[in-house]
Amino acid sequence: MLLNLNSLGAWKWILLAITGATSVFLLLPILFIAALSFGSSQWLIFPPPSWTLKWYQDLLADPRWLEAAWTSFRIALMVTVLSVLIGLVASFGLVRGRFVGRVALRALFMTPMILPVVVLAVALYAFFLRLGLNGTTAGFVIAHLVVALPFSILALTGALEGFDKSIEDAAVLCGASPLKAKILITLPSISHGLFSAAIFSFLTSWDEVVLAIFMASPTLQTLPVKIWATLRQDLTPVIAAASTLLIVVTMLLMLIAAAVKKGMKA
Amino acid sequence: MTPFLEIRGIRKQYGPVVAVHDVNLTVDHGEFLTFLGPSGSGKSTTLYILAGFERPTRGDILLNGKTILDTPSHQRNIGMVFQRYTLFPHLSVGDNIAFPLKVRGWSKAAITERVRQMLTLVRLEGFEDRKPAAMSGGQQQRVALARALAYDPPVLLMDEPLSALDKKLREEIQHEIRRIHQQTEVTILYVTHDQEEALRLSDRIAVFSHGVIDQIGTGEQLYADPATRFVAEFIGDSDFLPCRVVEQVNGRARIALNDGLIVSDIPLHGNSARKTDGMLMLRPERLSLSTKKTEMALPATVEDITFLGTHVNVATRTADGTAVSVRLPFGHQAISGIPRGTGVWLTFDANAAHVFL
Repeated sequence: MLLNLNSLGAWKWILLAITGATSVFLLLPILFIAALSFGSSQWLIFPPPSWTLKWYQDLLADPRWLEAAWTSFRIALMVTVLSVLIGLVASFGLVRGRFVGRVALRALFMTPMILPVVVLAVALYAFFLRLGLNGTTAGFVIAHLVVALPFSILALTGALEGFDKSIEDAAVLCGASPLKAKILITLPSISHGLFSAAIFSFLTSWDEVVLAIFMASPTLQTLPVKIWATLRQDLTPVIAAASTLLIVVTMLLMLIAAAVKKGMKA
Repeated sequence: MTPFLEIRGIRKQYGPVVAVHDVNLTVDHGEFLTFLGPSGSGKSTTLYILAGFERPTRGDILLNGKTILDTPSHQRNIGMVFQRYTLFPHLSVGDNIAFPLKVRGWSKAAITERVRQMLTLVRLEGFEDRKPAAMSGGQQQRVALARALAYDPPVLLMDEPLSALDKKLREEIQHEIRRIHQQTEVTILYVTHDQEEALRLSDRIAVFSHGVIDQIGTGEQLYADPATRFVAEFIGDSDFLPCRVVEQVNGRARIALNDGLIVSDIPLHGNSARKTDGMLMLRPERLSLSTKKTEMALPATVEDITFLGTHVNVATRTADGTAVSVRLPFGHQAISGIPRGTGVWLTFDANAAHVFL
C-alpha cells in the first residue's frame, strides 16, 4: 500500500481528524433534516422539544404531496428507460464506430455535465414554449434526459470499451446474427454498465430541481419542485419529512447499486 | 474434381496498403493447414476473410465448389477459436458449448448429450457448471475449441489460440489439438507465427510474407527445399554467406565465395539470368567443423561455444566477417578444449545448402 496508516506517526491523527470533519460536514445537514422531520416544533426548532410522527401523517394524508412523489417517480422511470436505451445505441456508435469526428462527438455528448443547469433550463424553457411542451410530462422527461444522458453514455462507453469484441464475434460465428449476439452475449456481459447507467439516470431525474422548476406547472410538479414551492410559502416540518423520504429513496438506490457491484465482482 | 476449399486470388486492400496480395490456395478435406508468418504478413487477414469479418477487395472463396463470400458470418457454419479468450463470461462452460446448438434450435436432450460428448473430447468432464473466470487459460481455450466443434463445422479456423499460454502448457494443448484433429477429421486452418508450433501440428504449412504466400508444403519440404530466403530464415536456423554465381545449370549453381572457394552443384532459387550476386544458405546442423585444414572447406574463427544440453553451438566468423553457427552433438571431439580465436575449417554438403539470388 502506498499509504500505511501505522507508519504515519502524528500524521495519522491529523488525517483521521480531517476525515472525521469532512464526514460530519457532509452528513450533518442530512441528519439535521431527518431529526427535524421527527421534531414536534412547528417552527423547526433545534433541538426538537419532543418527538412526533405527525408530519409524516400530514405528508401521507396530503394528496398533493403523494401526487408530486408519484410524478417524480414516473418521470424518473421514463428518463431511466430512455437514457439507457439512447445511451446504449450512442455508446455502440462511439466505441465501435470508425468515423471522422468520433472523439469530438463524444466530448459534445458530455457538455450537459459542464453547462450550468440554469442556462440549460432557460434555453429549454424558451424552446419548449414554441413547442408547447412546458408543463407536460414529455417536457419534463426530455429536459431530464438531457442531463441524465452524459452519465448513461459515460457508464456504457466505459463498459463497452472493457468488453472484448472478439467475444461477440465468437457468438456470431457460433451462428447468432449480429443483433442476437449483442442481445444474448454483449448486453449480459456489460450488465454492470447498464445498471450504473440506470441508477445514475434515475437519480439525476429524481432529485433534479432547477430544470424541474422551469418545466413545472401548477398541476404537474415533481417532489423537489413541491418542496421548493412549499418552502417559499410557509416553513412547515412536512418539508423536512418529504426531504427525508427523498433522501431515503436515494440512499436505498445507492445501497442496491453498491450491493450489485459487489455481487458482480464476487 | 472440385477441391474441398479453394481460396482463389484473394486480395485485401486498405486504401493504398495491400494486406493480402492475390493469395491462391486449395485445402483438402480433413487437412491441417497452417498459415505461418510474422505479424502483418496477411495470415490473420486471410483467416478473417474466411470467417466473414472482412470482405476481400477481390477474389473468391469456394467451399465444395460454392462461393461463401455472400453468406454472412453467422450463416457460414464455420468454427473459430480466437487468440484471446472468448468464452461468454456470464455463461457456464456447459451453456457456452450449448450456445451454438441453442441458436440452431437443437432439442434439449440432443444439446445435453452433445455438450457431454464435447467435454469428453476436450477432456474436461465435470466442468459443465464452472464459470469461465474460474478456469485457467488453457482450460478456457479447450472449452472454446469444444464450442467451435460442437456443431460439426466443415472448417475450423484457429487464430493463434495458444499465444497467451506459457510454453509448457502450449505444448500440452498442441498435443490435444492434434489428437482432436485426428479424432474428428475436421479441416483446420491454423494461424501462428511460431515455426515450432506449425511444424508440430500441420500436414502442410503456407509461409506468408508481406501478404504473399512464399511457399506451401510439408514441414520437411520447407526445411529441405526452401523456395525463398524468407522461408529458409523462417523454418529452422540458417546463416547466409554472400557469394557470386559463376554458372547456372538446370536449377543448380556453381558459386564462388568471397575467399575464393568455389563450390559446384548447389540448388539455386530465384530466377534472374543476369544477377550474379547471391546468398549461400547454410544450416548450423548440416555443417561439420575441423581444426585441421581440409580441402574444399571454409576457414573461420571460433568466437564462442555454448553448451545447450543435447548439442553444442559453435559461433564462428568467416574471413569476410559473416557469422556462421555450427551445431554439433554434445561431446563432439572436434571442439573438446579448443579456446576462442582458434582457426577452424567448415565443410558442407552441397545438397544441404541453397543459393538464393
